[in-house]
Amino acid sequence: MKTISINSVPGYSEWRTASRECLAQSIAPEHIVWQGSQSLQDDLFGDAEQSPGVCEAQTRHRIPNSVLVLFNYALCHRDTSRFALCYRVLWRVIFENKNLIELKTDKDVLHLYTLAKAVKRDAYKMSAFLRFRGVTLDGQEHFIAWYEPEHYSLEIKLDFFKTRFKNMRWSILTPYRAAHWDTEKLILEDNPDPSVFPEDDRIEKYWLTYYANIFNPARIKKDAMLSSMPKKYWKNMPETALIDDMIRESDTRARRMINDGSKQTPKR
Amino acid sequence: MHDKLIQKLEILSDAAKYDASCASGSAGKRKAGKTEKTGIGSLTGGSGICHSFTPDGRCVSLLKILMTNYCIYDCHYCINRVSSSVRRARFTVKETVDLTLNFYKRNYIEGLFLSSGIVGSPDHTMESMVRIAKSLRVEHGFKGYIHLKTIPNASPELQAEAGLYADRLSINIEMPTQPSLNKYAPEKDLGAIHGSMNTLKDKIAEHKVDKTYRGKRPPRFAPGGQSTQMIIGADDSNDKVILSTSVKLYSQQKLRRVYYSAFSPIPDASEVLPLRPAPLIREHRLYQADWLLRFYGFNLEEIVHDDMLDMDHDPKLAWALRNRHVFPIDLNKADKMLLLRIPGLGARTVQKILAIRRYTKLSWMDLTKMRLPLQKLKPFISVCDYSPAIHLLESNNFELQFKPPKQIELFGA
Repeated sequence: MKTISINSVPGYSEWRTASRECLAQSIAPEHIVWQGSQSLQDDLFGDAEQSPGVCEAQTRHRIPNSVLVLFNYALCHRDTSRFALCYRVLWRVIFENKNLIELKTDKDVLHLYTLAKAVKRDAYKMSAFLRFRGVTLDGQEHFIAWYEPEHYSLEIKLDFFKTRFKNMRWSILTPYRAAHWDTEKLILEDNPDPSVFPEDDRIEKYWLTYYANIFNPARIKKDAMLSSMPKKYWKNMPETALIDDMIRESDTRARRMINDGSKQTPKR
Repeated sequence: MHDKLIQKLEILSDAAKYDASCASGSAGKRKAGKTEKTGIGSLTGGSGICHSFTPDGRCVSLLKILMTNYCIYDCHYCINRVSSSVRRARFTVKETVDLTLNFYKRNYIEGLFLSSGIVGSPDHTMESMVRIAKSLRVEHGFKGYIHLKTIPNASPELQAEAGLYADRLSINIEMPTQPSLNKYAPEKDLGAIHGSMNTLKDKIAEHKVDKTYRGKRPPRFAPGGQSTQMIIGADDSNDKVILSTSVKLYSQQKLRRVYYSAFSPIPDASEVLPLRPAPLIREHRLYQADWLLRFYGFNLEEIVHDDMLDMDHDPKLAWALRNRHVFPIDLNKADKMLLLRIPGLGARTVQKILAIRRYTKLSWMDLTKMRLPLQKLKPFISVCDYSPAIHLLESNNFELQFKPPKQIELFGA
């Protein structure tokens, strides 16, 4: 039995290196115990040295790109069983069926899709619900966001933020890692200090005004809102503080719209 | 001191909420070039990101505002018609541009959806709107999404310029027939609206053709195509009339999207309007029917059996109930077009089934693993180890099992 510890999060490249070595030595999935760390602090107590010696001559295995894309997402999941699962699927794709991931009724494949889907959704929500606040640092406008993704979604969305806000200076802080962008270079920082996140923003009041007025009180569909924007996301979105009042007042507002409607229109 | 801009924003976003369209439809991908030192934004391809949701269940993707709610027209269904006593306001070009950029930089929005009341003349209004779009694109290098609501009767030159900067253009048709327009929007003319749509259609198509022999494309023109909106339940047009109008718009004017907006009472409404809102379920059924027409290979006659859609069942289920002889359908053998007709199977699931089928035969167990709505599917399908009991489809009260429990409506009588 072989034990492999992955000490970084999400651990994609470590897993990749280890998997290559295991494949080269033809170690079957059932003979490996994968250990993932829950958080970065675990590093301090992590096993000193585990990695096996120099690789032997490797056989090249062709892995379909669609599988690698799935791994990329699934390995950003918090579930520590992700390493073992991905290696097992990798093994089966190579030695059992190269079209394995088309079999969406297979237990491993279903599990892999479940993890990948959860991360994809989490990452999408991050690109949607993350909010920047502006501050002036050294005479330059700098935008800072604090966001708590459920999985290690920051790494999935870095390209998105770099592309969209290329000419902006920004920092995205998450509980496990921060990314800082100065319009040219990206710097990653582990376990950032959340107190850097500004208390206020000069534009936010306009956003709140917009949010409160763009909604139609005559057609409340709270469940539809909650299914797309569950409460777990609310704490980092300033506009959600308005929701309870908006719902409470909607009935009165909608009735007023109708009552006003029944008044005669003044002739001009 | 009270913030003037806040007041304007209150008025001009409130006035925009009656427009159903919220999506930033796909207009391809776009981003700032590597060497561009200014400019902001990107289009990720596919439909845009929903940055928030309001309690009416709608997605907030764009800064959807009116440039102004002053208007010289008198359309009865519109809160901004000239005879309404609503508060009025007008954004300057700079205010609109700054608001859009500031919202975008904070990751609130995907872009701008700008419409407007008619001030001065259609051309004057359209020109200001084009200036806003141009400033965003040219001065600020804005790569996000821009949707302009084209002003009917604005000059073709202005419409052409709008298409250079906007990702999508739209003209609201508002009512499905000319008599309804006459009654509710006396200044609007169906012929003119269709004319403008045709102009846009030709421009959009012009850009889509292959490169010329010199290898140059004609200038970019509204890559996201055009869309429109119809108000449901203000006039007495039935669902068949509405959907046949949509079918024409999709086939002749090549529209990307037709939005349906259930008439909702507006403050200070005109007396020709009904006082009660149209039921939201009708709007929902129209969207479902619209989808079946565009993506599921149904034609109009199959969907609208009477003049109105069935409100108790979704249109696909209603069709299945009328055509029980087609079922059960074998999931392992039926072709794609037939699979698409099974109530409870969406286009994506059908795609999945087709992919799995290439490698293995589907069993009932597989269906449970795929988390399909089996209760609904049960009578309509068969797989290698399951076929429905014959009485399921033939019993007289078969449709009763699909009847939803009655819901209490907010404004129910």
